[in-house]
Amino acid sequence: MNHEKRTPLIRLAKREGLEGWKVWCIRCGSILLALLLGALVMGLTGANPVTAYGTMISGALGKKSAIRQTVKIAVPLLGCALAIAPCFKMRFWNIGAEGQITAGAVAASYFALFWADRLPSPVLLIVMGIAGAVAGGVWALIPAFFKAKWNTNETLFTLMMNYIIIGVVRWLQGGPWEGRKGSQIIPQFDSAACLPRVLGVHCGWIIVLVLVVFMHVYMNHTKHGYEIAVIGDSVNTARYAGMNVGRVMMRTMFLSGAISGVVGFIVASGANNTLYDGVAGGVGFTSITVAWLSQLNAFAMVGISAMLAVLSKGAETLQTRMAVPTSISDIITGILLFCMLGCEFFINYRLIFRKNSHKEAAKS
Amino acid sequence: MKKFLAILLSLAMVLSLAACGGGGGGQPVQDNKPAENQPAAPDAPAAPEGKTVKVGLICIGDENDQGYTYNFIRGKEAATEALAAKGINVEWVTKWNIGEDSGCEDANIELADEGCDLIINNSFGFEPFMLKVAPDYPEIEFIACTNQASWGDSLDNTHNAFANIYEGRYLAGVVAGMKLQQMIDEGTITADKAVIGYVGAFSFAEVISGFTSYFLGARSVCPSVTMKVQFVGSWSDATEEANAASALADMGCVMISQHSDNTTPATTAQSKGVFHTGYNNDMISVAPEASLIGTRINWAPYFEYAIESVANGESFDQDWCHGMDMDAVVMTDLNEDIAAPGTAEKLAEVEADIRSGKLQVFDTSTFTIEGKKLETAFALDTDGDFAPDSEEAVFDGAFHESYFQSAPYFALTIDGIEWLNAEFG
Repeated sequence: MNHEKRTPLIRLAKREGLEGWKVWCIRCGSILLALLLGALVMGLTGANPVTAYGTMISGALGKKSAIRQTVKIAVPLLGCALAIAPCFKMRFWNIGAEGQITAGAVAASYFALFWADRLPSPVLLIVMGIAGAVAGGVWALIPAFFKAKWNTNETLFTLMMNYIIIGVVRWLQGGPWEGRKGSQIIPQFDSAACLPRVLGVHCGWIIVLVLVVFMHVYMNHTKHGYEIAVIGDSVNTARYAGMNVGRVMMRTMFLSGAISGVVGFIVASGANNTLYDGVAGGVGFTSITVAWLSQLNAFAMVGISAMLAVLSKGAETLQTRMAVPTSISDIITGILLFCMLGCEFFINYRLIFRKNSHKEAAKS
Repeated sequence: MKKFLAILLSLAMVLSLAACGGGGGGQPVQDNKPAENQPAAPDAPAAPEGKTVKVGLICIGDENDQGYTYNFIRGKEAATEALAAKGINVEWVTKWNIGEDSGCEDANIELADEGCDLIINNSFGFEPFMLKVAPDYPEIEFIACTNQASWGDSLDNTHNAFANIYEGRYLAGVVAGMKLQQMIDEGTITADKAVIGYVGAFSFAEVISGFTSYFLGARSVCPSVTMKVQFVGSWSDATEEANAASALADMGCVMISQHSDNTTPATTAQSKGVFHTGYNNDMISVAPEASLIGTRINWAPYFEYAIESVANGESFDQDWCHGMDMDAVVMTDLNEDIAAPGTAEKLAEVEADIRSGKLQVFDTSTFTIEGKKLETAFALDTDGDFAPDSEEAVFDGAFHESYFQSAPYFALTIDGIEWLNAEFG
């Protein structure tokens, strides 16, 4: 009797070895559920959900210029998700990609602003890229160093580092790098410092695609990747196996920050042609979702970041054509991400309901 | 297994139901003002041509700011109405909350692809991104409000526009000055305590020009007035603006004015028991015991002019700037309950003088810089180093603001105005 009372209505149990087709059914179901909930939200604003979804898709992919803009949105998301992946694999919670992107953009912008007339364009761009990588890497190395030495909390540390570098950019905008006095705007870069376009989009997309392959190989086919995986599973095992955990941590964070820094360079040089405090624009956080949804698989990240870019560009078109506020689209994106991440829970756990027979037994 | 299939099946059923039900979920909403306005304007159907112009408007905020963007929306609505009476329908497509980054470039491309004939960018920082799109769409006209590249760039389809807001500032200054003089005359304050506190966004030419003209207006009727300026480092930060107003009142300022987007300086002035004059919007409703008057740019005449030109296939000014002469600058209602007696008459008199050109706001005989009269100052920057190097702005006894280009270029510090902080320069 007592035992039955203590049995909760719903219990969770870890489940393993769910068949592949079931996993995909759950995933598709969650996306359908999200679309359904999204349709409800759109219906509330007075827009026809079918037309609205159609508008989002055609707005993001319907025209050459639309596809270009969508790709432009996807590039930093993909690049940054790639950067975060090794840290998360290691269970090092780097939520400072935002700051690492910004640091990279600052360093790249320095060369764009002050070295544009001294270097030929290809050299300048390479220097900017390297500067971005080093700056982003160093920005990430600082919290890693403290974590390795004194076991500080990397989540808080990386988060705080974001605010510092964004403050630095604000100071640069209003101070030493300001263009027209009082405008708070850094002048547009010289054309030599802007990434050339390939197929209508700045060539950052080529860089991140190369990084996809690099990251796949690095994570799965190198000693470094193996060390990262072992530390992620168990720090003690790694120690026992003779790995220098602190060193691996710092090395991985430097790499992660460096890739984020390159993303910062791509965004500043390719997309904005200038530096401003919103250069990272939340990419550092959104890409965490991209990385998790892809389960840290580099190739899956291409698809997920493309999907988010389609949603984001589609949301803009939705606002243009149907006057649906972009915040509504943000809600829909949020629902979709929530459902997609949430469904992984049902893939890993199953719910066990309290058997009715117990209740009847209690009554009698 | 069975249970799993059952869940799957039921989910599929729910979905199919929803798909059927979704069809009637409402009509697509187009931001199509003329359709609403036509019944209101009975003479519109009489217009024979019935031209339609599709206009894109890119805004940095949305109308809820009750300030900067709201003021554009008011202009948009008034222009639409005026044009409807002329038989021109305007179909607006508005983008809200766009950042001053490549998102603005995307917004311009998107509006161009949507078939807009004219695209208006409402914020200063939009211009560089607009300029990346304009060359690809030579048949579309692009406007960057408050910025200044168009007179110098090689493109025929880019435009700038601003208004002589300094005229309105001067008038607001006159209202403030009369109130201060009344307080001195009544013995509420001594002459040396007539201090104005000004909440400024940044030490940007537009702001400097604004508070200088305001100060000159006040001093024209209250000779002993001085002014303190506090920059808040943001165009729109309600809390910081309130803090700045509060600090200025504590320093002894008995009159507050502002170049920032929120109404908090007005409400702060009221709670501190001092007076206030506003910008962008009528602030009497939020601070009836403090707010004397406000001034704002009226974008309607320019929108009307630009859209009508596009409708008729004519070219229009690449750099447009008008003031009270075309009602591009207007005053909000005077708060007669608290304004000094005779203010309305004085206001009408000064306004007439500005309209007729008899009164120059930046008359060089009315101010000094480090004790000396201003003899020379350049207006334009032609080499891109952000320091004016061309076109003498001082002639005929006055500094000619917004004369060579629409964007303000008076960025001098005159005697009598104290900058409390300048780190936002």
